[in-house]
Amino acid sequence: MTGAPPLIVDIKANCLDDGPGIRSVVFFKGCPLSCVWCHNPESIAPRAELSFDPDVCVGSGECVDRCPEGALQIGRPASLDRDRCTACFDCVDACPAGALERVGRPLDVAEIARLLLRDKPFYDHSGGGVTFSGGEATGSMHALGELARTLVEAGVHTLLQTCGAFSRERFERDVYPWLTTIHYDLKAADAAHHRDVCGADNRTILDNFAWVMDRASRGGAEVLPRVPLVPGITDADANLDALAHVLVVNGAPKVQLMAYNPLWGGKALKVGRTPKYTGGWMAPDELRRCADRFERRGLQVVA
Amino acid sequence: MTPPTTGSTTPTTIGTFDRLLLGSRRMDVATAALLRLMTLLCNHRASLRDMLRSRDGWVDFTIGIRTESGSVERSITFEQGRAASRRGISGHANAVLNFVDDRALLVMLRSTPNEVLTLILDNDLVIDGSWGHVQLFNYLLAQVAGAQHDRKLGRIIRDDRARRKADANPEHERGRDAFAARPATRLRAAAVDPGVLHLSDPYLSDYSLEDFPLLRRFLDDHLAQNPEVCAERPRLLTDWHREHGFETDATGAPWDPVQRQGQAFAHVMRHKTPVIRDGDPLPGTTTTKPVTGSVVFPDAQGLMIWGELDSLDKRMLIPFDISPETSRTLHHDVFPWWIHRNFREWVRAEHGDQLSQQVDERWVAYFVWKSIGISHTVPDFGPILTAGTSGRIALLKEAQQTAVDDEAASTYGTMIECLEGVEAYADHLGAHAASLAAEAADPDRAADLRTMAAICGRVPRHGATTLREALTSLWILWVALHNENADTGLSLGRLDQVLQPFFDADLQAADSDAERDSLVRRAIELTGAFFMRCTDHFPLSPDIGNYLFGGASSTQALTLGGVRRDGTDAVNDMTYVLLKVTEMLSIRDVNVNARFKRGTNSDCYLRRLCEVNFITAGTPSMHSDDAVFASLRPHGYSEEDIRDWAATGCVEPSISGKHMGHTGSILFNLVAALQMTLHDGWHPRMRLQVGPRTGAVDSFETFDGFFEAFAIQLRSLAALAVQRNNQLAAVHAQHRPTPLLSSMMGGTLRSGRDVTRGGAEINSSGTSNIGLADVTDSMMVILKLVFEERRVDFASLVSAIDADFEGHDALAARARCKVPLFGSGDPEAVAMANRIAGLVHDTWTNHRNHRGGRYTSGFWSMSQHVAYGCLTGALPSGRRAGKAFTPGLTPQPLASKSFLDNIRDVAHLDPTNLDNNMAFNVKLVPDAKDSRDTTVSTMEAYTKTYFDCGGMQIQFNVVTAETLRDAMAHPEAYRGLLVRISGYNAYFVTLNREIQLELIERAEFGL
Repeated sequence: MTGAPPLIVDIKANCLDDGPGIRSVVFFKGCPLSCVWCHNPESIAPRAELSFDPDVCVGSGECVDRCPEGALQIGRPASLDRDRCTACFDCVDACPAGALERVGRPLDVAEIARLLLRDKPFYDHSGGGVTFSGGEATGSMHALGELARTLVEAGVHTLLQTCGAFSRERFERDVYPWLTTIHYDLKAADAAHHRDVCGADNRTILDNFAWVMDRASRGGAEVLPRVPLVPGITDADANLDALAHVLVVNGAPKVQLMAYNPLWGGKALKVGRTPKYTGGWMAPDELRRCADRFERRGLQVVA
Repeated sequence: MTPPTTGSTTPTTIGTFDRLLLGSRRMDVATAALLRLMTLLCNHRASLRDMLRSRDGWVDFTIGIRTESGSVERSITFEQGRAASRRGISGHANAVLNFVDDRALLVMLRSTPNEVLTLILDNDLVIDGSWGHVQLFNYLLAQVAGAQHDRKLGRIIRDDRARRKADANPEHERGRDAFAARPATRLRAAAVDPGVLHLSDPYLSDYSLEDFPLLRRFLDDHLAQNPEVCAERPRLLTDWHREHGFETDATGAPWDPVQRQGQAFAHVMRHKTPVIRDGDPLPGTTTTKPVTGSVVFPDAQGLMIWGELDSLDKRMLIPFDISPETSRTLHHDVFPWWIHRNFREWVRAEHGDQLSQQVDERWVAYFVWKSIGISHTVPDFGPILTAGTSGRIALLKEAQQTAVDDEAASTYGTMIECLEGVEAYADHLGAHAASLAAEAADPDRAADLRTMAAICGRVPRHGATTLREALTSLWILWVALHNENADTGLSLGRLDQVLQPFFDADLQAADSDAERDSLVRRAIELTGAFFMRCTDHFPLSPDIGNYLFGGASSTQALTLGGVRRDGTDAVNDMTYVLLKVTEMLSIRDVNVNARFKRGTNSDCYLRRLCEVNFITAGTPSMHSDDAVFASLRPHGYSEEDIRDWAATGCVEPSISGKHMGHTGSILFNLVAALQMTLHDGWHPRMRLQVGPRTGAVDSFETFDGFFEAFAIQLRSLAALAVQRNNQLAAVHAQHRPTPLLSSMMGGTLRSGRDVTRGGAEINSSGTSNIGLADVTDSMMVILKLVFEERRVDFASLVSAIDADFEGHDALAARARCKVPLFGSGDPEAVAMANRIAGLVHDTWTNHRNHRGGRYTSGFWSMSQHVAYGCLTGALPSGRRAGKAFTPGLTPQPLASKSFLDNIRDVAHLDPTNLDNNMAFNVKLVPDAKDSRDTTVSTMEAYTKTYFDCGGMQIQFNVVTAETLRDAMAHPEAYRGLLVRISGYNAYFVTLNREIQLELIERAEFGL
């Protein structure tokens, strides 16, 4: 049985910070959450989008002539009327400079696997593999499972980075058997707070977390819980303490803290989203304070 | 600073006064006035008149000056100590300076001697005739304008310092401490290599430079001192020839050149001053300078520094110290004697002015190293270290008995004479060591000098028995070779293989662990002292060399690891000792190359290579034996010989000890052939119809038709380079054989011929082909945008290029962003690169060199990718005019965001087209939070995968652009910062600004 091919934002090779060794990261498009600080805003919507970067535009005007809807205008800055755009992407071909790009491309599993397996020798020599990320990779559950299976059968280490908002039954059946490691993100412990800043309830997420931790303790996929530190949103002592509690009761020995990176803002504008949150780099003593909230509960904090 | 060599920039700014001069006829008047002033000064100022006199009498010559338009046409003649200037240029002028226009002439008149060379690179000044005479004229001009030149050089340096200060940015200092701290963290390992017999931790992690105060001192001196020009060799050599003749001997009979060279060499060695540096365990120096000196080769390219003699110490990039006495000796006693006796002039005398020489002397299409030297090879040191020069002499005497002909008998005799000259030098060193011992205040040093004296009594005459004897023997032979052969990448070969038996013997004799430890420590110190001696031998180069070969040293390649002749693992204790020294010293020369045989060499060894590369930031370069073997097999060498390859100069393979491969014969600009194809055989920078007319671009109906025209232009340019190389090779054989080198090369015992005459067992000539990635990308753009997608017609593309894409932003953007490039992972681009590399290889393979050998094809670039790039207009790839090409065959930074795409594409080049090796430069940026173990593991994974995929060679610069920018602004904080250019290493702070920027702009991949 094959479903519709998943929408892929990007396949990024030679990643050294998304799991062990040299890895390729597959960014799936579409996410059930919409966290206000999202670092990959172009991957939230579950459909192909047009991205426009005015800094790259050389003003050739070739897109204007090509657009059947008159959605593009040349000028300083050139502009794109997203209400008129029907996402036909003719302008992407016309643009000489790569200022107009299509975000989200349907790729069938065999093709994704082919692209990934070109780098298998690098995975093998470095103890690396493939990381599924997004957006939320489990949003394309069936394809994700097929892909993970194909990779595992080819001898590749697989890792899923997830927000945890998935259907456990399908996950357990289609995907879980083919995962070696899971990076599991926990953002806010309080349900209302979570709804506010992530756009959805966290009950499923916490339930699923308990489930993967339980499986891990019985020889299942290894789990690394991760907490994004977003100044003023997730980094309050109360939230961190509550999350530490969740980790401890589920038997997690360690946690990875991910400090807020302010460099993502420009990415939102390119797909026509207004950033809902802007913050700066976190000071070292702030990071230390956050780490301390977990360490005092006996958790090991990894960078 | 001295200005960049771009067409748009001229060395001197034009002021208001100068603008007045640029009116019609005014330059002619100004030139006439200047020449008349020179005439007056020469005729009436005694000090200047004295400059016209050599030891052999007045130097008579004529220099013409003209502009292309004919607005100026004048000459100056020096005859019997009288100068005269006149309108017009007689046919007897020794050289004519042709200026593109009045402006270029004005710049020349106001330039310092080193800057004149910039005009030449730009082709704004074209010299017809003798370069020696032009250099002499420059020298005289410098005498007239000396004070003004000095002020200007001072101003250039002050301006440069101010500019650097202005560029300083505290943010760039972030990584400085972490960078400096790299040597403090060191991995250790358990010995797993079967050849490692004595080292329990082959990484020798317990040792650091601070444990070797002697090496620390040598290194500090090396980084602090300018090399000093030494007149001893040229003076001895010239005096000998003055007495014994060059073309004919004292009786008037023609010399046998081999004999003449041998006798002159033996004379130099017998009279060479024995010098022993304070504290040095190794005796001898290539010059009379105890720390760092430069040998002058007036019989090769030495005359090129004539004009700069009095300003060498004042120039900004790599200045040399020179005493007034040395300058005077070279000017009066040495250079005039050789003004007609050098490679360029011998070829010109024999063949007249030819297109192949004109193209060579315009610097932008090819450079033929034989105008400097031919000894780009790996001598056979093993047998001489084992049996001594006396053992070699015995074999030569035996061969003399059964010589095939008179030339062989005479050549054997000359080789013996050369080796005896080396022995005499060793005797003098021994005596000098003994006399220093007698005077030494420090009893330890006195004892060591007595030991040294005893060693000099044994080696190189007899076989060495200890590591110290072996290194002493090797160093004395190396000094001797560098007093015969100009500095062109003469290489040390597989020193770990050569030295291991001596290290092993030392260690076998040890009785206790303490003694063993002390011997290991001593081995590191001795080997380190040897490295320092090698690195302090530095070639003398005119300022033009700072632009063509920025920061390059003699490039003495050393090769580690791989397999033995029988195919077993060659990694041994000395491999790791040499790696330890490489790590601790982090010096530009010796040029360390490491071989890795998949399936035979250990991961432990590869990991150590990566660690040393990380700590030093730029060395060693790593090679896969599998790929190099595959490239050499079509030559028909035996499998044992192939396994015995060693890097020569930069990266090029020679079969150790028996292969006269002159692997750096021709540095060839592939982009020039492309430019000629786009302009119907015309080369825009040279303003010459260099190639055949292959048609205007709009006449090509298919891409294949265009590609065939490119092939025709490439073949025609290569044929010119071959003609030039072979004619130069012929004058080497005819006028300047190298009998000492010949005595140390395999094959000469049987052939009885000098190696310049084909006496070595294996003969070939190596080319390096520069700009493969730029040509491939340009071809992809032409294929896609002109022929397949028809986005632009060909003539419009060429117009856009000729306008440097001014007003063609969209086309430039499309070329750069929408066409799959080499290094992007696109199979079509890789196929294109292979198609071009195949064409290049087949083109050279069809030629034979002067010694009957084949031409090989390499794809490394020294720093010529910057020099050629600076002189080259825009390209279809979207590359703008004056930008550097990519180094070696490295993909351009735009090609892909993923380093893995680069690795895979480069690895997929067919190795049989790369039989003179290649240079793949990669800049890696370590993540500060990663452990040393993680960082090294990642480098190891990259390298291993690259080799698994078929890659041949890779060299990492592990340094951030930020740190390089910091070093630009604060050179004093980064004196020893080592960078890999393309095939060789240099200190970043000694490089010209264009090369520095090229290094900064290279693609940077995170670690």
